[in-house]
Parts: sequence; C-alpha cells; structure tokens
Amino acid sequence: MCAKGLKRAGYCVFGYREYMSLIRGGHSSYQLDSANTLIRSSETHVDVVVCFNHHGIRTNLPDLKEGGILIHQTAQWKFSPEEEKLISAKHLKIIELPTLDILRTLNAKPILGNVLITAVVWSIFRRKPEELKALVTEQFGHKADLLAQNFSCIEEGFAFHGKHAANICVTLPEPDDQWRKQLLLTGSHAMGLGIVHAGCRLYAGYPMTPSSPLLTYIADLQNETGMTVKQAEDEITAAQMMVGAMHMGTRAITATSDGGFDLMTETLSLAGITETPAVFVLAQRPGPGTGLPTWTAQGDLLLAVHAGHGEFPRLVLAPADSSDSFDLMPEAFNKAEEFQIPVIVLTDKHLAEALFTQKPYDQKRSQLRRGSLVTDPKKLKSLKASDRYDPSAPDGISLRWLPGSEAVTYCAQGDEHDSEGNVSEASANAAAQMQKRMKKLEALKASLPEPDITGSEHPEILIVSWGSTKGVVEDVLRDEAFRGRQIAHLHYTYLWPLKTERFVALARAAKHTVCVEGNHTGQLSMLLKRACGIGPTDEVLKADGRPFFSDELKEKLMPLLRP
Amino acid sequence: MKKIPLSASGPVMKDYTCSVTPTWCEGCGNYGIWTALKTALVELKLQPHQVLLCYDVGCHGNMSDKMLGYRIHGLHGRVIPLAAGAKLANPRLPVIAVGGDGASFSEGVGHLVHAIRSNYPITLLMHNNANYGLTTGQASALTKKGERMNSSPNGIPEETLNSMDFVFSLKPTFVARAFSGNVPQMVQIMKAAILHRGFAYVDILQACPSYNHFATQEWLEEHCYSVQDGKKKYDTSDFDLARKTAVDTGKKIATGILYQGKDVPDFIERLQPRKNVKTTPVEEVAITDISRWMERFI
Repeated sequence: MCAKGLKRAGYCVFGYREYMSLIRGGHSSYQLDSANTLIRSSETHVDVVVCFNHHGIRTNLPDLKEGGILIHQTAQWKFSPEEEKLISAKHLKIIELPTLDILRTLNAKPILGNVLITAVVWSIFRRKPEELKALVTEQFGHKADLLAQNFSCIEEGFAFHGKHAANICVTLPEPDDQWRKQLLLTGSHAMGLGIVHAGCRLYAGYPMTPSSPLLTYIADLQNETGMTVKQAEDEITAAQMMVGAMHMGTRAITATSDGGFDLMTETLSLAGITETPAVFVLAQRPGPGTGLPTWTAQGDLLLAVHAGHGEFPRLVLAPADSSDSFDLMPEAFNKAEEFQIPVIVLTDKHLAEALFTQKPYDQKRSQLRRGSLVTDPKKLKSLKASDRYDPSAPDGISLRWLPGSEAVTYCAQGDEHDSEGNVSEASANAAAQMQKRMKKLEALKASLPEPDITGSEHPEILIVSWGSTKGVVEDVLRDEAFRGRQIAHLHYTYLWPLKTERFVALARAAKHTVCVEGNHTGQLSMLLKRACGIGPTDEVLKADGRPFFSDELKEKLMPLLRP
Repeated sequence: MKKIPLSASGPVMKDYTCSVTPTWCEGCGNYGIWTALKTALVELKLQPHQVLLCYDVGCHGNMSDKMLGYRIHGLHGRVIPLAAGAKLANPRLPVIAVGGDGASFSEGVGHLVHAIRSNYPITLLMHNNANYGLTTGQASALTKKGERMNSSPNGIPEETLNSMDFVFSLKPTFVARAFSGNVPQMVQIMKAAILHRGFAYVDILQACPSYNHFATQEWLEEHCYSVQDGKKKYDTSDFDLARKTAVDTGKKIATGILYQGKDVPDFIERLQPRKNVKTTPVEEVAITDISRWMERFI
C-alpha cells in the first residue's frame, strides 16, 4: 500500500524483500527506496524503519541514516546501552505506536494494524489521508464495514502522529507526474505477463524458491488465461511435460531454481538432440546444495551455459529488470522455435521478487516467429520424412512439422539419428548430424545483438554487467561522482552464444575493465576470456546472498576514479 | 478378431510399415507387440499422422524407428510425463506411451504413480519382460527374487515388486494384462486402452529368450488365461474382483481387460480453465493482449 501510494503520488519506487527459509518466526523485511527520478536499486541505509516486532528493532535499528526515524509497536521496549548510544550518536528519532490499544478502541481486527502504521508513515511524509483512503477503497470498496474500519485506522494514524510526533517528518522531493500512471510490479509478475503475452499455453513446474512466485502468479491467472498449469511431481516431470507439449506444437514453459534445474538437465540434453524448442526459467539462488534458499545470487551462469550431457546449441539470456522480464519472453519462445533449441532464461531471487516502477508495456512491438514450422496443407503434403533432420538444411535449421499434421511422419529421436529420425550409429552420419546441430549456434549468434552500451563512447573505465545487476550499476553511474567521467556501462542480456566484438573494442582502449557480478568466481569474466582472450582488469564480486546496494557498489567503484 | 481392413478407404497395415528392419532377438515378444500395435491402430482407423507414439529407452524403445506414426523417443524412465505433456498440448491426438518394466517400476516409478492419480488420457503399453534386456539382462524390480542375473551373480536380494498390487493400490481407471504371444487379444486390449477416457495401464507379459529364463514363452503360454474367455461373464467394472484376479498369480495368470472405470473424469476434464474450451493449446499459440492484467498494477 505504501509503495503504491508513493508511486501514485509521483515517485519511482524500488522494493527489496529479505526473508528467511521458514514460515513463522525469524526476521523478514521489506525495503522501499523511492525518488522522483528513475531508481532501480536499494541503498544499505534508510530514512524510516517500521518494526512490527522487537526482532525488527534489534536487526534494523543500525540501518537508519543520520536523523532517521524508527517506528515500533513493542510496548515498554527497553533499548540496550549500545542501542541508546547509537540513537544519540545518529540523532535517531523514536516513535512508539500503541497499535493494540488504538485498534481496541476502534474495535478493529489486528490485521488493520498495517493500515494504522501506514497512516502514521504517510503523515510523516506529509501526504494526505485521502490518498490512502483511495487505495483501501479500491481494495475493500465492496465491503462497507471493513472499509469504514480502514478509514478510521487511517484517521487515527494521522491523529496519532499529529498529537504525539508532529515535528518528526520526512520531506519528500517534488513529485514527478511521469510515475503516477506507471505499473508497480515484481519481476515475477512481469515475466508472468510476458509468458502469457508470448502465447505460452502450458506451464509445468515444481515449487522452489525463487521460481515459485512465477508459478503462483501464472496459476492465479489460469482461470482468466485458460492456460494449462500443472504442478508436477518433480522437476524432471515438469521439464518432460514442457518438452512433450512443445514437441506437440504449443508454447510451454517450466521454471525452477538451482537443484531443480540440475534435475532438468537430462531433459535439456534431450531437447538438444531431438531439436525440440524448449524454454526453461532458471531462477538463481545461492548454492551449493540447498544453499541460501530465499536469497539471491548470479552463480549459475556457467551452469546454464554448460548444463546437460553432450554438445548441443542453446541460448542463454538474462533479463535485468521488469522491462526485460516482459519483453524477452516472446523472444525466448521465438528463438526456441526459430532455431529449434532449448532456451534458458536466467533470473535470480532479486529480480523475481524486487518491486519495479515500470512504464506500461508496449505490446505492439511483439512478434510471433515460429521459424521453419510448416503448417500450410499443401506444403505439408509435399514433405519428405528426411526433411525433418536434413543435414544440408541452411544454417542447420531443418523443417519442422507437428504431430497430427497431415503429412509424412518422422521420429523425434533421442538416439543419434539419420535425417528421418531413424537410429543410426554410422560415423559419417553422426558427424553430419553433429555439424547440422552446431551450425545453428553460429546462425543464432549472428542473430543476437551486441551487448547494450551506455555512457561515454571512449571510456577509460568500462563496467561490465549481466542480469539483475544492471539496475544498481546504472543507479551508481548516475551519481554525481561518476557523471561526466569517461565511463561506459556494457550490459550483457544474451550470454550464450557470447558476442564479444563490442567488448573487445572497448576493453582494448579502456584503462580499467570491471566485471560486476553476484558470484564468487567471476563467471562472465571466465566466459569472456574464453571467447575472446581478453578478461577484465578488475572484478567486483559478491557472494553473500544479497544484491549489490547502490552505496556499497559506489564505494567499491570509487578507487577506479583516482588517477 | 475383426478383419484387418485392406481397402483404400481406411489405413492399412502397410501404411505403418517402414524401411528399418527390426533388430530384436529371435523369439522376442516385441514382434508380437509390434504387430498388435499396428493392427490396433489400423482397426481404429487411425492414419499414421493421427497418432503420437512416445517411447522410453529399452528394447521396446527400439520400436521407435520400426513403424511409422508421429514418434518421439525420449529418455529412460521418462516416457510418461513426456507423453502426458504432449497430450495436454493437443488432447485430440491419441497419445500412446511405450515403456518397459525397468523404466516404469524403477527409474520412473514416481511418474507411474502420478499418472494414475492424475488420470491423464493416455495409454501406457508396459513391456514386461521382467529384466533390463537392452543393457544385457540385469534384474528389474519385477525380476523373480533369488534369480541370478547379469550383475547379480548371487541372485537378487530384493523382494520382487508385485506390479499389479502396486498399480491397483493407486486407484487406476483401466488395467489390462496381455501376453506377447497372443496377438488377437493384445489388439482388443490396445484398442480399448486407446479409447479409454483416462490413463490406461496395459501390462504386457513378454518373452525375453535371451535373458528371462524363468518366465519363458512356453511357461507364459501354459500359465496365462483370459478372463474374457471364462464361462461366467467377467465384470470389468468390479474393482475388488479385478484386484484379486490380477494379484493372484500363484497358479495361473489372468489376462484381458481386468478393470475399467468409465465414469472417472480424465485430467483435462478436471482442469477448471479448460472447461468448455473448444480449441487445443496447440491451436491457441498467438501473441496475447495482456492489458486487462497489466492494468491491475497501476
């Protein structure tokens, strides 16, 4: 409600969620950063902390900036001597809200404490109660008594602030109208919309954080979209169902995370040899093993590039934000069908759950491209079975037609096969079929764009990123310290096959080339070195389950500015 | 048995014939199953392009290029979800999964469990030769306990899984048992299985002259009887009778359609979003306007 209220008031909002792998107990938090200009990352420190219990006070008090405000509702809370010291050193302001007492006088349910506390924050922001009332009316307008209770909580929240802490306020910058009509959604929402938009008609998955929010969103929409949604018995099943459905000719997808993807890799390889289009979403979290189930990482790039036994072409792409998460889904399906290959969409917990302020999607740009799929009845009749895996097909992309089509039949063969899909163990055939498949990789590479470049045309410092790290890099480079310097940002969306022409040209001329990655070993650096012989001069790596925070990354990049 | 149509008005056996010669051992039960499957498809008047045959990996999987029809030859143990996914995409096309006892009762046994409870409208032809033939005769979960097999020189220490008891415990809607030496009966069973409303489990006892020395062709011929041939009419809708008949293999082995529940909705019928939908997911692929859902985020 707070995020939506801020966005409607004219602010760009970025939301970041931290929680633990448990259902009750432990500590969870939700951080909102907002500005009147574009913002795509979080800072380590905040202006206001709202605590729902004493864990929050203990954990998040140190996160406040100088002069920050702590609002809590733990009656008769005693700060420790260290906390008292921190409060006076940083001039922190404390507001204790007697939530339960107020709710009791209003005869309102405990859940309405959320509304009460939001109203206090809203008053601290010097915003109007009507803005919150409009939001709750949208949600509870159909329930008159509940709406009335919401209204009284909002009024009481403002009254409490006015009476007990009127001088404790935060001054927001001037709002900007451009944000008011924008969307406020998570990466998973964006991807779910992108999947539906792409014409995907079947989703098979198995719950695993951080891919689960996508499963939930797609499942919640199923009665409206008419999509077939299957929660499978395991990830192998989910992957097999997706491949079976794609073979039959619909658009299908599966999504999973680390260990779940490990289970899917045999199926990935099957899609490779049968040349069945396939789309896998791999939402990264920190491994190895069960790792940090509810935290973020960029540690599976090399897994995505190398997963599955044997050699076969594939596309690996990584959306950066809510724009990409939508726009790239039709492309993922298009490329899968055009090249008859598996496509891996690499996301991570940060992207899956972060909240973005996003321009409404332009749906006119989207294309449906199905490559060499034959559907014309006349053409179907003229097909030969050997057209299916014809090794002489241009770029190795042979004709594909769907089961049920009135045409000659073939076998999508998991064994090495001849052009009709008959098993063949002959050496010349094996070599020809391998070449046929691998030729597609060259054609695929040629079809991909070079990585995006922003900033200076002749950079002394080249920052290289991929995936969800884009937003924080951009936020940092907009900082005054970096503005006007010879810095450029090269962002990779398509990671395999890897284009390096632009990178090589820039890296050769730059004094510093820095890869910023959320992993321990510098996986993009490794890929770059392998592909073009040039690696970064510096690396900024992080593997603690947290995304990069803007102030943290700024600090790490500052030394590069020194002459 | 109905006469195989030879006129040009419907499909004929030749339409399913392909150029690749079978590579199964002499006396392998697969020859009978192969013949029965082609015959059943012809008798159902299905053209090769009107069916999807999905193969697991094993000796049966070597059928993938021995007859025509749209085919996919996938991974070991995974044919059921592959076939189910295909069927969900195009419910109009008959989908037949072909697997063995190694695939269905070890590597992919979980898929069998969930296919039965999901009641996917597909057929599973389970080639039951009670061993891993293609990897040269190792024991499967259905091999007789104590039998000495390749890689079990002292005889297998595990208990034999009672496949029928297991399958019936999952509340199946169609269970049949066949014998690879009885082609006419297999044809009838396969036709009924393909036409069944939900998941049809067809257990085909199959001779494996190379590696199965306990249930040989002769032994199976002596022990199998058809429930449909009895003096008393066999009631295929009686679940308890079917389970008892199927599990009791002490003296004789019951074959035929052992159980069929016709009133249980299949998986697709159970899907709320697909109620009253006339198109198939294959036909629905198109760039879709998402404005109505996007607006909720403003």
